[in-house]
Amino acid sequence: MEAMQLTEMMYAMRNPAGVPFYPIVFVALGVLTFALHIFFVQLMLGTATLTAFGAFSKQDNWRRLASAMLEVAKVSVSVAIVIGVAPLLFVQVVYDPQWYTSNVLSADWVIAFIVIMIAGYWSMYYYYFKNGKYGQNAGSPKARWSILASLVIFLFAGWIMHSLTSQMLHPELWQEWYAPGGMMDYSGSQLHANNPWRYAFFILLGIPAAGAMLVAYRRFKSVRTDMDQDYLNWAGELGKKWIKIGSLVVIVPYIGWMATVQESAAGFGLTIWGLLPIVALIGVAAWAQLRLKESQSLCNYMALGVVFVAVLVASIGREVLRYDILNGAFGYDFFDYKVTMDWYSTALFFGTFAVVGGAILAYFLTIAWKVGQSQGVYTPSKAVDRMGTIAIWIVSLWMIHFFAIGFWIWAQ
Amino acid sequence: MEFISLFPTWFEPMVGSGWVVGFIATFHVLASHTSVGAALLFAYLSYRAYKEDNDDYLDFVKKYGLFLLVFTYVAGSLTGVGIWYSTTVASPNGIGALIHSFVWKWATEWVFFVIEVVGIYMIVYLVGKVDKKTHMKISVIFGISSFATMVIIIGILSFMMVPGKEAWFEEGGYLLGFYGDNTFVQLGMRMTFMMTMTAIVGGIVVASITNPAFKKEMARKLGWLGIIATLIGAGLFQVYLKTVPESALLVMENRLPDYFGPSIMIVLAMTLAYFIVTMWKPRLLVAGFAGSMAVILLVAGLWPEETARESMRKPWVAGQYVYSNQVIGRDVPGMGIESQLPHLEKHGILKSHPMTPAHLREVNDGNIIQAGEFITMTYCSNCHSPSETGIRPLHRYFPEGVTQEVMARYIRGAIMPGHIAYMPKMPMIDSEIEALSAYLVMNNESGQAATQVAIEQEIANREASKLADQALGLVVSLNESAKQEVQ
Repeated sequence: MEAMQLTEMMYAMRNPAGVPFYPIVFVALGVLTFALHIFFVQLMLGTATLTAFGAFSKQDNWRRLASAMLEVAKVSVSVAIVIGVAPLLFVQVVYDPQWYTSNVLSADWVIAFIVIMIAGYWSMYYYYFKNGKYGQNAGSPKARWSILASLVIFLFAGWIMHSLTSQMLHPELWQEWYAPGGMMDYSGSQLHANNPWRYAFFILLGIPAAGAMLVAYRRFKSVRTDMDQDYLNWAGELGKKWIKIGSLVVIVPYIGWMATVQESAAGFGLTIWGLLPIVALIGVAAWAQLRLKESQSLCNYMALGVVFVAVLVASIGREVLRYDILNGAFGYDFFDYKVTMDWYSTALFFGTFAVVGGAILAYFLTIAWKVGQSQGVYTPSKAVDRMGTIAIWIVSLWMIHFFAIGFWIWAQ
Repeated sequence: MEFISLFPTWFEPMVGSGWVVGFIATFHVLASHTSVGAALLFAYLSYRAYKEDNDDYLDFVKKYGLFLLVFTYVAGSLTGVGIWYSTTVASPNGIGALIHSFVWKWATEWVFFVIEVVGIYMIVYLVGKVDKKTHMKISVIFGISSFATMVIIIGILSFMMVPGKEAWFEEGGYLLGFYGDNTFVQLGMRMTFMMTMTAIVGGIVVASITNPAFKKEMARKLGWLGIIATLIGAGLFQVYLKTVPESALLVMENRLPDYFGPSIMIVLAMTLAYFIVTMWKPRLLVAGFAGSMAVILLVAGLWPEETARESMRKPWVAGQYVYSNQVIGRDVPGMGIESQLPHLEKHGILKSHPMTPAHLREVNDGNIIQAGEFITMTYCSNCHSPSETGIRPLHRYFPEGVTQEVMARYIRGAIMPGHIAYMPKMPMIDSEIEALSAYLVMNNESGQAATQVAIEQEIANREASKLADQALGLVVSLNESAKQEVQ
């Protein structure tokens, strides 16, 4: 197919219903939520690696760290999945021609992804149930294979996602993949495209992410008088190393990725959007060197935010690269997606996100934070208790509004 | 523009793509409905624990919550994503229609989904670490938020069957598409189903209670919850049937298998019997029995229900304007959507489909079987498999020895104009009818393997012809060179 036909094909594949708000907003939300999603993926991979390493280590500190990091890994998988729903939604809004085609061409893998993820998650839980109840100083951990298996399974699931995203960027090859040698392939049994550098870059960002978690963990637990401060300091120092070394190491696969992007985007690595992630990563290493000197400083918490900013910058670069390829080489521009404006549902989302989500998560996270820093049963102060009452009112009013509007429309 | 919005086709020969969606959807409904029901139960039990200062209720919440966390939240959230993935590959325009009308609603559901996931961890891990009043507040927020995910998705599920209000076709807009008779009745029906599921799955947790008095109390509480919810649910199902389009009832009467009605009644009776027995003799409630009954009752109850809902909305897959084969078969002026049928009548499917390979855009003697296969895959394979196995195999629908002429007449008379109530209109041009007939007859007589051999032969002939043309070109050019040299 010629380039013009490819452009026509992708425009034809757009959903004729259009989008209910400006396309740029969906892309912006897509980038932000993708960054959050991949950050938790990286956190999960990094902490699961620490858990697996600790499971095979004979050192007490490593064993204790493995136990603590398993908790982080477990929660991170859940959070990564739940946050991952958002970019998955938004990519279907303005990149539906590319995303759907890529998926259908590898349909078996798309379905397998779900089964693979469940296997990885349950494998992690299996390790937890086999060892969790024995506490931090237990003897030799049982079923160590299961945490390793979990890690390998998650890495494989990541590879599938990476391939599907890569396939989106090759509309010139879709026909060839659909009809190799002239024979139609309706099976969806192949993964067709990949870039190992790109995959390695996003995976290895798990090193600085886990490092940031370690220094934050040290800071968080250090207020507890029942904690071993030597162990916490050891974990924190390890975290600093991981942040500094990790954020510099990942520059290598990033350069590899930029050097191997498809021909139509060659030279992207030397543009401002291509260079910014490198600047951000060097910035993370420098910041860690300069600011993580005091074990009690708030910078230990900020480390998570600093690494996230680097991930966000890389995610923005990834989006600009996608736009450059699809618009630059194939004339597909998400900005001109047909808008069928729907103010109510737009306002409903942003209102729910800011007011309901904000009030409830503020209350939930305050409680979780306070409990983590308390010994025994935690009883909230009046102010915190009032946060809970307000959250109940807000979510109740949301529900009343839902039915009130609904019955009004129904009665029309 | 020559092309219309069609994507490649995924063909799953063993069970069919529709069943893959069905498996994942059933599993997801099982997990998600139980989670929502349990969230409301947790709010109630946490309230009782706070009011009566009773730790037993909280222990039960912790156990049930952990069970949900490992099984339904892991599998439920992933199979929720799985429904998107499976519909994306089985029905990209179907899911696209829903996404493009309800993206903000899904995004709103996502906010509650985040709250749910944070909430379930707090519900489980904060038992004994926060005071009972705080636990109750968390549980109440969690319960309402969890219920919010249900009320949001229900309008989208209803839209799959029929847009909320008829006015949506002319005026468009999220509200008219979302709210309607079907939405509210389906919400009521699903709420009762989810309470039944909560009671059944809760039996597994009750089985592990060692205190006989508390075990009896919880068995009775769940038993009554299950009985009342099941009876109301059965009643609401009858009301629900009054809110679906007439075509859906027609399909239900004519196309659903004979065992559908009796199997629903049997599951209903077994469910009520199970609750009565466990209330009467709680000691019978042991893990193996409770677990087995949960799987049997829930899968046996859900599978026919999900299958029926899937079948009943045919020939449409979403909003009564996207056909099950992905073609848009109706104008929706309110959304600026035009039917693709006139375009297909004029240009045919091969030229309109963006993914048709160059060698199949025109039917000729050298590609007729492969073109027929492409049309079959595009128009038919979502509901009919050309293989021996799979979903409603095509060979079951045609008599042995059917000729190409008869097949072409059938396509012209019944398939193209959509004279079969539950099947889409499938416009084609004459050469495509010829190709489709040739393929279907060969598939009917000799099976899929024979069609593959024929297609391989077509490709080999085409390649040989290309090589011959190249060789001829070479000879001509050599001759020309030789002539020039002589001159």
